[in-house]
Amino acid sequence: MTVADVAALMTTLHDDPDLRFLILSDLAGVDTGTTMQVVYHLWSDTTPDWLRVIAEGLPREDPRIPSVTFLWNGAEWAEREAYDMFGIIFEGNRDLRRIYMPPDYQSFPLRKDFLLADDAARSPGQGVRHMEQTFMPAESGAQPALRQGTGAGTTDALPMTTDALAASTPDTADASQRAPT
Amino acid sequence: MSAEPTTIRSLDDPTIMVETPATIYDAIPPYPARTEREAEFYALRDGEMLINLGPQHPSTHGVLRVVLRIDGERVVDLDPVLGYLHRGVEKICENGDWHHAISNCDPLEYIASMFSEAMPVLAAEKLLDLEVPRRADYIRVLCWELNRIASHALFVGWLALDLGGLTPILYGFAERDEIVEMLAALTGQRLLFNYLRIGGVNGDLNHDFMSRLGEWMSRALVRIEEQQKLLNQNEIFIRRTKGLGVVSADIARRTLLSGPVLRATGVPFDVRRAHPYSVYPELEFDIPVRSEGDSYARYLLHYDEIKQSIGIIDQVLAKMPDGPIMAKIPRLLRIPPGRAYVAIESPRGQYSCYGVSDGSDQPFRLRIHDPSFFNLQAVGMMMPGNLVADTMAIMASLDPIMGGVDK
Repeated sequence: MTVADVAALMTTLHDDPDLRFLILSDLAGVDTGTTMQVVYHLWSDTTPDWLRVIAEGLPREDPRIPSVTFLWNGAEWAEREAYDMFGIIFEGNRDLRRIYMPPDYQSFPLRKDFLLADDAARSPGQGVRHMEQTFMPAESGAQPALRQGTGAGTTDALPMTTDALAASTPDTADASQRAPT
Repeated sequence: MSAEPTTIRSLDDPTIMVETPATIYDAIPPYPARTEREAEFYALRDGEMLINLGPQHPSTHGVLRVVLRIDGERVVDLDPVLGYLHRGVEKICENGDWHHAISNCDPLEYIASMFSEAMPVLAAEKLLDLEVPRRADYIRVLCWELNRIASHALFVGWLALDLGGLTPILYGFAERDEIVEMLAALTGQRLLFNYLRIGGVNGDLNHDFMSRLGEWMSRALVRIEEQQKLLNQNEIFIRRTKGLGVVSADIARRTLLSGPVLRATGVPFDVRRAHPYSVYPELEFDIPVRSEGDSYARYLLHYDEIKQSIGIIDQVLAKMPDGPIMAKIPRLLRIPPGRAYVAIESPRGQYSCYGVSDGSDQPFRLRIHDPSFFNLQAVGMMMPGNLVADTMAIMASLDPIMGGVDK
C-alpha cells in the first residue's frame, strides 16, 4: 500500500461492520530525520481494540498525504497542527493553514533540522549554540555552523540540515546584523 | 487593502446604503487568504460584520482569540485563532531527557496538571515495560481523582461567572483551594505538582496530607450537594444554558470530542473503562451520561462526576496497600527504542501521548493529545445561530484550558 491509499484504508477501517474503528484517537506527525510519518491511532467504539496506522516514507521536500477530515472533521485541527509543525500537506483539508505559529512564519519547528538555540545536549562538544549560529542569512551563502566536529554519522542522520535552514531563515536583515563571530 | 469604495448599510439608518472606503473590511486579515475556508470566512455578506474577541478577553479562559462574523446579534460563523500561548512543549521535551519532560508537560493542563504530567511518565513506563508498585498506582489514582474534583469545582464556578453569577466561583475556589493545599502538603506545589515519576511517585503519603484529606472527605459530599442547589434550579442559569451549544452524539464522535462534552451527548465513553489503565479495573464507579448534549447537561455531568470521584477516593483509601512507592530504575535512564501510546481520562477528556524512543535518554518524539484542543474545535459547530452574549457561555461549558490547547 502507498501513502495515497490512506483515505481508502481509513474508510474501510471506519465503515466496515466487522472493524468499526470509529474513534480517531490521535493524529501525529513524526520526523524520523530522513523521512516524515503520519501516525494514526484508532480505537474501536465497542471493544478495547486499538490500531496504529503509520504512513511512513513521506519525502521531506514535499510531504503529501490525503486528509482524513471527510471521516472525522475533528481531525482538521490536528492536521493543521501537523502542517504547522512539520510542513506535511494534507490534501483535502479545506483549512490547512498554520494554527500555532504566525501566518508569516516560514519554518517547521518540530522538524529535526530545526535546532533550538541552546540545544547543547544533542550536539556534544559544541556547548551552548547561539541563535546567530543557528539561523544564518540566506543571502550570505554561509553554511550554518551546525554539528561540526561532532564526529561521523551526525550529518548523515540529518541530510536536510543546511538546505532547510537556509530556506527557512526567518529574519534575514536582523540575522545579518548579528553575524556569527 | 484596496481603496475602491464599497457600499454598506448606514450605521444610523439600516435602510440607507452609503459608500465607504473598503479599507475597514479589507484590513482583516492583513494578508491574502491562505485557504478556501479563510477566504470564505472573511468574505462578508450584506449586513454582516466581524467582531474580535480576545486574545485578552477575560471570558476566553486564557489567551484565545475568536473572530466572530455576526449578523445583528446572531453569530453567523467564527474563526478561533490559537497560538498565543504556544511554547513548543513537544520540541522542548525532545531536547531534554525523559525526566525533564515531566515538569515540561506540567503546565499544559494547568488546572489539573496531575494529568498532563502523567503523559511522559506513562509513555516511558510502557516503553520500559515497567511494573509500577501497587502503592504508587493507588497514590496516583488518589491524586488524579482529587485533581479532577478540583478542576470540576472550578469549572462550575467559571461557567456561572461567565453568565454573570458571582457566587458559585467563590464556592468553587473554596473547594479547589482545600484540595490544592492538601496536594501541596503531599507534593510541595499548589499548581504544577511535578509529583509523578517514571516508576512511581515522588514521596509517600504524609500525615499532613492525610489529615487534610480526612477532614475534607468528611464533608465533601454534603458540600457538593449544597453547591448544586445554587444553580440547578436557578432560572437565569437554566435559561442561558439549556438548549444552547447542542451537539449530537454522531457529530461529537466525528469531531473527536471526549470527556464530559462527549458524555453529555449520550455516549458512555470514558478512557478509564474503555481502555483501562493503572488500578481503575479494581475500582467500582459509574460513568455518568446525559443525553441532551447542551451546556446544561455538561454542567450537571460535572457534578455527577465529582460524586463518582469522591466514591473512588473512598475505595482507594480503603484499599491502599503497603509497600514501596518507586520501582527500581537506573539513575541514568535509557529508554529502549520503540513506540508507545498511552491514554488517560483527564477532567476534560482523553489525554493521550504518543512517545517514540530512539534508545537515548531523550524522547525522540513526544506527541501530546490534549482534549481541550479537540473540544474547542466544536465551537465552530455550536456557535452559529446563537447570540453573541451566549458565545462565552458555550465556550465556558466546553471548559478549554489554553495551556493545553496551545501547547
